[in-house]
Amino acid sequence: MDATARPAIVIDNGTGYSKLGFSGNSEPSFTLPTVVAANESFLDQTELLSSSNWIAQYNAGIMADLDFFIGDEALSRFRSSGLYTLRSPIRHGQVHDWDTMERFWQQCIFNYLRCNPEEHYFLLTDSPVSTPESRECTGEIMFETFNVPGLYISVQSVLSLSAGYAYLKSISDDDSDTTSDMTGVVVDIGDGAPQVVPVVNGYVIGSSIKSFPFSGSDVTQFVSQLLQERGELLPPEDSLDISRKVKEMYCYTCSDIVKEFKKHDKKPDKYIKHWTAVKPKTGVPYTIDIGYERFLGPEIFFNPEIYSADFSTPLPELIDNCVQSAPIDTRRALYKNIVLSGGSTMFKDFHKRLQNDIKKIVDERVAATNARHRVEVKPIEVNVVAHPIQSYAVWFGGSVAASNPEFFEFCHTKEEYEEHGASICRTSPVFKGMY
Amino acid sequence: MILLQSPSRFLLQILQDRVLSGEKGMDIDCHTVEFDDVRYHIQFSMRNPKVMVLSVALPLPPPEAILYDGLPLGAIEAIKAAYGPVVQILDPPKDGFDLTMKMNLTKLPPDEEQRNAILTQIASIREVVLGAPLKLLLKHLASRTVAPNVDKLVALVHRPNESFFLAPQADKVTIMYPMRFQDSIDIVLATSFLQEFVEARRTAALYNVPSCMWSLAPPLELKGVSADALNANAGFVTFVVYPRHVEGKKLDRTVWNLLTFHAYVSYHVKCSEGFMHTRMRRRVESLIQALDRAKSDAEKLKKLVHGGSFKRLSLKNEGDSRF
Repeated sequence: MDATARPAIVIDNGTGYSKLGFSGNSEPSFTLPTVVAANESFLDQTELLSSSNWIAQYNAGIMADLDFFIGDEALSRFRSSGLYTLRSPIRHGQVHDWDTMERFWQQCIFNYLRCNPEEHYFLLTDSPVSTPESRECTGEIMFETFNVPGLYISVQSVLSLSAGYAYLKSISDDDSDTTSDMTGVVVDIGDGAPQVVPVVNGYVIGSSIKSFPFSGSDVTQFVSQLLQERGELLPPEDSLDISRKVKEMYCYTCSDIVKEFKKHDKKPDKYIKHWTAVKPKTGVPYTIDIGYERFLGPEIFFNPEIYSADFSTPLPELIDNCVQSAPIDTRRALYKNIVLSGGSTMFKDFHKRLQNDIKKIVDERVAATNARHRVEVKPIEVNVVAHPIQSYAVWFGGSVAASNPEFFEFCHTKEEYEEHGASICRTSPVFKGMY
Repeated sequence: MILLQSPSRFLLQILQDRVLSGEKGMDIDCHTVEFDDVRYHIQFSMRNPKVMVLSVALPLPPPEAILYDGLPLGAIEAIKAAYGPVVQILDPPKDGFDLTMKMNLTKLPPDEEQRNAILTQIASIREVVLGAPLKLLLKHLASRTVAPNVDKLVALVHRPNESFFLAPQADKVTIMYPMRFQDSIDIVLATSFLQEFVEARRTAALYNVPSCMWSLAPPLELKGVSADALNANAGFVTFVVYPRHVEGKKLDRTVWNLLTFHAYVSYHVKCSEGFMHTRMRRRVESLIQALDRAKSDAEKLKKLVHGGSFKRLSLKNEGDSRF
């Protein structure tokens, strides 16, 4: 059986979580945190020779390069044993430690997916602001170490767009011509480096990319801050972990802060939730109340000044600035298709609030133009698309793209790599099949 | 991770999640592929919440290995023995697969440890099915007999279109692997890895393990096998297994390790390549640092004024200027 007959492997490496799986499936096989816990005690070889028990250390040192864990296992090993150091190979959406990234991929392929990399085509994803050199490095590692037969490195935003289209197509009952033209604004808020990326006809408009400094981890931090300021008894070593769980379970987006405060004060038992857990060190159970944090957490996207004094542009305004900086003939299409992706966009009613806020800004501008020039500009339609697979939208888009038979023709093959070198990986063409 | 694990992580995860989530959950329909062309298809529908269907496809066998009904010898008995009433084999198997099983989640034992053990066994379906003939032969070895109706040389499939050979006798079993690799670098690394592997057995602590030999030419026991089966570009590895290696609990582990030996070597070859790349990168970093020190101060000032340049001077990516 040839490599093109087997499903391709889709790996989406994000700052916080990596999603891995096979193309053709509707959800990733594994979602694991992008961390590696490595045993670094044998790194410095010169110390070995001075120790008396050098044979045992030498033998252990030989195996030391395989003594590492990834994902959740890495986190638990790091907590339980002092021997391991935790490393995150990806910061702000870009790989900055290639050794750790290579190890991470090695474990993903051999331990989790358990497949032979020589038998599958690979689809990897990349941030829209990453350098061509990093794609070269990725290609080098994939072709040299893992001997993959073919590789395609796609931009995460384009995959999110195609995921949105694929999902809408699958749930629409009519067979109407839902040809997408791959134009839209992708708001990608994951664990690190949230970005607003305009995509026109499948190509990213690099100069209009705007980034927002607060991501999912900042929401967790803020929730934890609020809980501690109020005097809730959170065990300090678990506080971030608990805040994250609280955020995922109870946080929602409100439409107006003032009204929400009033609602909470009027009916406390309807809105205040309780969290019971056991203290890890003493085993004593405790309960904490969760009140205002429920809607204040996601509020940092719409009112960043409540969290940090450095940044004050709310997300809807940022999206508006982004579209306004794009070419004028694309703006209507961009407003019509604002797609959300990433785990931190999963708050309840996030898309409604975003749509209302952006529509307000856009309508104000249209009214001002109408008043100034005494014309009637056609009202601009603002549409924020939300779907239940937002947290792994990029992976899903990759799975859809890789299950297309044309995908294999657009990959860079090992033969091309051996002929031309790693520079072929700098760009990967966007192909019609992704639509 | 030094050795490849027996249960498929993905299957185990799905089974455990399903058992834990009970009445709620979503439909599952997933295809997975494992090394050596073993494909799984697991299905679950909320209409029938107590039943999951698992289909397995095995690698294509070469002409010298014989399959009975598409499955290796003894596979069906092994499945019945391992899983009991929880699993029911569906005949005929789904299109494109060699085996389809229906799992009845209500028949799982209530005790959590036993339940996890059965789920792990189900996730190790590959070991049970593909390893069935090997297990049969090794069980006979443990009782120091030879299985009846077995030829002097048995060929078992472990990779698509490739097999490994066993010569069973009453007091020992000789297992021979022709090692083939596609990439030229892999062949060289595998050859040195296997030679070191054989050398390592000579250390004093390992005298009790099966003896192991490596040779470029096919061993004498393989006389008479067709030339196709014997073209191996990384030599032949021979293990001799004695009854003490297959007693009791060791039998399952021995079966799994022997079954996936080629995958194990391939995995370690790739790890070695990765390790060498790490060392190469470290060396390049230190050389670049030496070059940087040699630059004159005027050049360094010019560089700061113009900002970043496109030439990559360091392997570590500096952050993007946009942030």
